[in-house]
This record gives sequence, C-alpha cells and structure tokens, in this order.
Amino acid sequence: MSTNKIKITIVPGAACGGCDVSLANLGERLLEATELVDIVFWPTVADFKLEDLKNLDHIDIGIFIGSIRLEKHAEAAKILREKAKFVVAYGTCACYGGIFGLGNLSTREELLKKVYLNTPTTENPEEKIPGQKVVINGVDVTPPRLTEWNLPLNNIVTVDLYVQGCPPIEDSINHFYEVLVSYAKNRKPFEKGMMIPGAKTLCDICPRKKPEKIVIEKFRRVHEGPIDDELCFLAQGIICLGPITVAGCGASCIKANMPCRGCLGPPADIIDRAGKFISTIASLVEIEREKELSDEELMRIVQEIVDPVGTFHRFTFSSGVINKKQEDAKK
Amino acid sequence: MKVSNHEEFEPRIVAFLCRWCAYAGADLAGVSRLEYPPNVIPILVPCSGRVDPQYILLAFKNGADGVLIGGCHTPNDCHYVSGNYKALKRYALLKKYLEQIGINPARVRLEWISATEGQKFARVIREFTEELKKLGPLRLR
Ligand code: SF4
Ligand code: SF4
Ligand code: SF4
Repeated sequence: MSTNKIKITIVPGAACGGCDVSLANLGERLLEATELVDIVFWPTVADFKLEDLKNLDHIDIGIFIGSIRLEKHAEAAKILREKAKFVVAYGTCACYGGIFGLGNLSTREELLKKVYLNTPTTENPEEKIPGQKVVINGVDVTPPRLTEWNLPLNNIVTVDLYVQGCPPIEDSINHFYEVLVSYAKNRKPFEKGMMIPGAKTLCDICPRKKPEKIVIEKFRRVHEGPIDDELCFLAQGIICLGPITVAGCGASCIKANMPCRGCLGPPADIIDRAGKFISTIASLVEIEREKELSDEELMRIVQEIVDPVGTFHRFTFSSGVINKKQEDAKK
Repeated sequence: MKVSNHEEFEPRIVAFLCRWCAYAGADLAGVSRLEYPPNVIPILVPCSGRVDPQYILLAFKNGADGVLIGGCHTPNDCHYVSGNYKALKRYALLKKYLEQIGINPARVRLEWISATEGQKFARVIREFTEELKKLGPLRLR
C-alpha cells in the first residue's frame, strides 16, 4: 500500500552531527517500518540538494535539526514549512538554538573577524572572510553567508512538535517514533506545539538525596575538591540545572557524578531559563543567616557565580527573552 | 513617552512595588502631593520576593528603560519575613547577568521604601529618572 506511506524529510541546519546519529537510530526502526514511511530527503546520508527539497510536491512530516545560522538554513526552513503538514524541531539546537546560541554574545562581524583574522594561528593577508563574493575561473563559488544571529527554528517558521535533547535519547526517540507511527497508521494529527518529553523536571526524577532545606553558603565548581555522589549537587554548592531542565535523559550526567548543564532544555512553562534560575539559585544562598549577614555580603556571595549566561543559558541563550548581546552597557 | 528627535527623552520605568511597604509609600507620596516625574508605571505585587527576574527581562523586552523593585527594609520589615532578602539576592545576580548580555546594570534598581517613606519614594523616582535620562533609551537589538 505504497500510496499510504507518509513522506518524511530530514533537513539539517547548524548541527554538530549528534542529532543525525540519534536520528540514524530512529532510522533503523523507520526502515523496518518501510510500509509506513518514506524518507524522501536526508542530505546527511545521501546526496540531496536544496533543489530536491523544492521539487517535492508534499511532505507529511518535516524534521529539522540544528539551529538557523546560515541564510540557506533559513531558506530551507521556509521551504520545509511550505511543503510539510507538520514541522518538527528535533534536538535542542532546533528547539532553542542550542550551544551555538552563545555565539550571540558576539556580533556576526566580531565572530568572523575573530575566526578568520585574529586568532594567533591565522594567516590571511588578503583578509578573505566568508560572505564576500568569490568567483573562481568564472564560476561563482561564494560560500554560504552567516545569518546575523543564531536562531531557533521557531524564530523563522511555526513549529508543530518539539523533540528536546542534545541529542534526543532513548525515551524521547521512542516517544517520537510512536507519534510518527501512529500518524502513519491512522493519520491522527498530533497536538500542535507538543513537546517531547515536555513536563517534569530533572529534579523530579533525580535519584540523589535532597535535604528538606537546601542552603548554599558558598559556590563551588566541579574541579574544586571531592563531590559527594549521593547528595544533591545544589546542596553541595555546585550549580546543577536540574530545576530548570526537563526530565528525559534518565539523569545520565548526575549518575556519572556530574551536575546537569541543562542540555535537554527547559520544561514548557519556563519563559526565560536564566531569569528562572536566577530566581531559584539566589533564594537558596545563606537562607538561614540572611539577617545576620549584611546586604552587601549576601550580594557578594551571589555574585561569585562565574559566567551566569554561559551557565544558565548554555544551550538556550538564542531563545531567551533577550537573546543577543546588547550595546547598552558600553555607555 | 518615547523620544522624538527634538523632545527630551522621557524614560519609562516599570516599578514592582510590594503592597505592604513600597506601594503604600508610593500611595503616601501621592496623597501628600509630593512632586515626582510621571515616568513610572507601578505594578502592585504581594511581596518583593515574588518579583521573578523573568518578568524583569520581559519588562525590558517590552519597552522599559528602567525597572525598580521596591520592598520593605531589611532586616525585619518584610510582611512575609524574608521576601525582601530573596529580592536582594536575585537583584544582585540579575545585575551580573545584565552586564554580561550588554545591558547597563544601573537600569535595574532595588530600594527599601517603608509605608511612611513617601518622601523617599519621590526622591528615588526623581533620581532614577535623571539617571536613566543620562543613559538614554534602552534600544534592544
Ligand atoms: S542538539 Fe546537540 S546533538 Fe543535536 S545538533 Fe545540536 S549540538 Fe548537536
Ligand atoms: S539539583 Fe541536580 S542533583 Fe539536585 S535534585 Fe536536581 S537534578 Fe538532582
Ligand atoms: S543530566 Fe542534564 S546535561 Fe546531562 S544529559 Fe541530562 S539534561 Fe543533559
């Protein structure tokens, strides 16, 4: 019943390859389900060009991986939206801009200058920078241009389904697979804006012991001395993003005695991850001795946190309420 | 309220004021007919400890040039015992965050204002308005 197969495309943006690998896991199962699914575009595994995407007459489920960092990513995303019944942001980069979002702490021009002119190992006397037109032997070989900022997919097009994770792992992939198969079998449309895994926080499923009241007297970083492998990291003064991270990885880092850096992204109800975490973490500082310490001393302890942006928004700065470096502080 | 080329820039201040102290102080400034600039948009909150930094970021995003958080004096005036300390610690960290993302941290200000300090409320608004005028409008990218 080949006419009943659903057409799937997998379109890459700025991606590290991790999501491709995780999709390849899914791919194996999709191949088993060949009577249900046709993968009609996947440049990572076979030679496809943007033209091929343009030439498709329709797509049922359009999966996008990676963030938008090149103009051609934005173009591909728009074509995908035009053709696909459902658009899926697959992985933290597509959902939130991902780790590349920290690039928004510099302008595009600053980034290009740094990488192509100013690193100590760079020799580029003609000052060639991507974005400039390049013609060799009469052929236009201009490299792709960076977008002004790194953006999550939903800044460019409407997204119907989010699969969180850097990359999405086991449970999320299984859940996503079920959604796909159920759509392929009975064309049951999924709830728009749905998030996988979505709701609970990592703390809800974390196996560590949590004291009734967590009090932070001093912040510590992971390299500073021994870490108790049974006690909640926050209770040890070590920043752990569990409270603002969705549960869906089975607490993998926690089990390896490393705090969570938040790679899955936040639960659906968080507006700005850094804002939310500032609220959470600051509350815990010296909560028993607030009235004994001076206001200045309390402020000093809180401000000891190194690199709030890179820590709280490591994977999500591009989707923050204020998602790029501003020029205001220079005044 | 925003600038046109020839008029002087009038900053827009969003003020989160706790109902027990700072809001009552603002009220007193009003009934005492104290003069202060009309640049402030007051938002009544139950406690300064309920002012989530997420909303401060949203205020900036939506056009505020400055944000004031007004709460009860430390150590002992908070109606809910220690909400003002929560506000203080969040404010300290938020300032560091704002600086990192290129927003002048002076655009957020925390003040303890009691219900009897109508004068102080008026003074804070005057000072903050002046300071923001010097900084100019917050133009986000
Ligand atoms: S979400 Fe993570 S694994 Fe996927 S492309 Fe981005 S960085 Fe790579
Ligand atoms: S903060 Fe980290 S260590 Fe503590 S309960 Fe949450 S996930 Fe576990
Ligand atoms: S513990 Fe945190 S950083 Fe580690 S995989 Fe899970 S969500 Fe990602």
